[in-house]
Amino acid sequence: MTETEATTEESWLVRYGREHVPHLLVIAFLALYPGLYTLAVGLSLPAPLGWVPDLLYAVLPRVDTMIVVLYFGLFAMSFDFVSGYTGYLSFGHAVFFGTGAYTVVLAANGLLPFVPSGTPFLLLLVLAGLLAVALAFAIGAVSFRLSGVYFAMITLGVSQVVYVFVRDWDYVGPNPKDGISVSFDLHPGAFEIGVPFVDALGLGIGKLTGDTLAIAGLELSTVEVSYYCIGLVVLVCYFAMQRVIHSPFGKVMLAIRENEERARAVGYDTYRYKLVAFAVSAFFAAVAGGLFAGYSRAVSPDETFFFLVTGDALLVSIIGGFGTLAGPLFGTWFDELLREFLSKEGTGGGLLPFLQEYLPQSVLDAVILNGMTVGEAVDTFLNGHASLYLGLLFVLFVLFVPNGLLGTVRERAGGRVSKRVAARLRSRGGTETARGTASEDD
Amino acid sequence: MARLRTRGLTKRFGGLTAVDHVDFELGDELCSLIGPNGAGKTTFFDLLTGVLEPTEGTVERRRGDTWEDVTGAPPHATAASGVHRSYQITSVFPERTVHENVRIAAQAAGSDSYTLWRNAGAFDRYVEEADDILDRVRLADRADTPARSLSHGAKRQLEVAIALAGDPDVLLLDEPNAGVSSESVDDIVALIEDVASDHAVLLVEHNMDIVMNVSDRIVVLNRGSVIADGTPEEVRDDPAVQEAYLGGYEPGAARGTDRGEDGDTAEGSA
Repeated sequence: MTETEATTEESWLVRYGREHVPHLLVIAFLALYPGLYTLAVGLSLPAPLGWVPDLLYAVLPRVDTMIVVLYFGLFAMSFDFVSGYTGYLSFGHAVFFGTGAYTVVLAANGLLPFVPSGTPFLLLLVLAGLLAVALAFAIGAVSFRLSGVYFAMITLGVSQVVYVFVRDWDYVGPNPKDGISVSFDLHPGAFEIGVPFVDALGLGIGKLTGDTLAIAGLELSTVEVSYYCIGLVVLVCYFAMQRVIHSPFGKVMLAIRENEERARAVGYDTYRYKLVAFAVSAFFAAVAGGLFAGYSRAVSPDETFFFLVTGDALLVSIIGGFGTLAGPLFGTWFDELLREFLSKEGTGGGLLPFLQEYLPQSVLDAVILNGMTVGEAVDTFLNGHASLYLGLLFVLFVLFVPNGLLGTVRERAGGRVSKRVAARLRSRGGTETARGTASEDD
Repeated sequence: MARLRTRGLTKRFGGLTAVDHVDFELGDELCSLIGPNGAGKTTFFDLLTGVLEPTEGTVERRRGDTWEDVTGAPPHATAASGVHRSYQITSVFPERTVHENVRIAAQAAGSDSYTLWRNAGAFDRYVEEADDILDRVRLADRADTPARSLSHGAKRQLEVAIALAGDPDVLLLDEPNAGVSSESVDDIVALIEDVASDHAVLLVEHNMDIVMNVSDRIVVLNRGSVIADGTPEEVRDDPAVQEAYLGGYEPGAARGTDRGEDGDTAEGSA
């Protein structure tokens, strides 16, 4: 290629790469995270800086927690896909998460008709997604006849009915209220992510049952292997949803959000479009639920079908940026980071053990009020109150950062982050174009 | 050629008859629908576009040599069959750019809207159609502005632009001049005359100067019934119209008077 060709007609690969610079940066960071974490907490620094690794240990989420960020982030993204992009709050979205989780566990225990216990995990995820799609069509057919708060109430009602049903459904196991786990007799191996039916091309996930991997001189633990495998599925799902959002169909979703009456008047049968959007979002919610079940090998109604699971998705969507696809993932990240930081000792925390270790005994013993010492106060205010502080933080977010993390960044940048970064990179070459950079917030 | 007609079209809301046995036919012309506030003009539009179901009577579309009954067809089906409308109260997609507002309307007329995997920007024909329409309504220089930050006059132009997308046969324009300042009125009037050159247009308008100047034909509605139907001259001299509505209309006197606040929106055009 001559130099003139290179400047005028750059290859699509360069252009594509440039538009995905923020994606690549985030993916690279997430890919390096387990390594960075191990390095950071394993640092041994000389005396005056000896506290740094301990502080990093207190602040950084464990890789185990990052797995939750991945699968719950996917669930939150699927929630935002329908709620943030069509404007219909799917308040019963947990029903799809639960469908995915229970499909995997029931299938592994041989309780799902026509599905043998050894069915490859990826096929189970697809099956879970399709079951959720069918359920979404059934729920949507009724609920999309209504709008606004009535739609939210119908979906919530249906999911609560399913929740109560599953809680007392003794077909799933002897004690349905407490949930079920994957039987080690029927399904001794880990759930594998890889090419179905080819054992050598798959890696097992799960803390106890998963695979370890030695590659290029690095030893990856079961948790780290699970992190990468689950991350891969989440990444594929994210790009699939992003594809839909930028497609002609996605543009109709936005039109419905902004002015459904006009969308109908220009010729869209909005009822059908909403149903399809709901079904797509249900598919990915079920995949997220399936990943959760595959990793933890145990599910309970309260962790899956309960309405507060949807509540958490709504919370992280608002923190991350409602109506932005990647926002809910960042919101989940932020949420889990804080939750772990504020949690008590033994669960990866956090602030409490750090303070107890590093505050001098004289400070801990100092009396503040009515005989309460600083040490007691630290314990009282920090032990097991993560949810309280998160609730307060949520209120502050709604008041002061209404667009959420990604929404605010986007507003500051004046458009979608990937478009703005691409434009900035291009303008260094002196060929910035206007269209597509202005206010395309999707 | 006649394109759209109604037979005995009636709509009652409880005891109120908003539209009363209207027989109406629209050909390739610019027909104005006038009448006092509450005469049933917007309700009539809602019946034509399927937003409301008539109590009695039919709405029919011309298909070749026959008339097809389309009574009660939902709004999206009406739009797909080539009858588009604009709104008295601006109804656009506020956070989308001007270009995207028109592009999404153009896309509705095609068959690509269930495509989930290709980028919307790859469908050139909708992008080009939007470009052409924006040239026509003279909004091309605002193409990348979000619709919400347009001036009111420009929003009214966009309102018509969205209705134009997808190449309709029949355009129903509900007060395209509503609330537009007198110096911008000429732009909109030029636009109406322009679109009437290649569409059948039914126009609701309160400014009598505009109505008398641009219309091929005028239909007067009062209390839901047609009380006059004819050329501007015939309607102007009709004593029944004088009494019900025009009330001593003098050419030129209506210019600059207050329009825009129209009472007959109660039946749901907003």
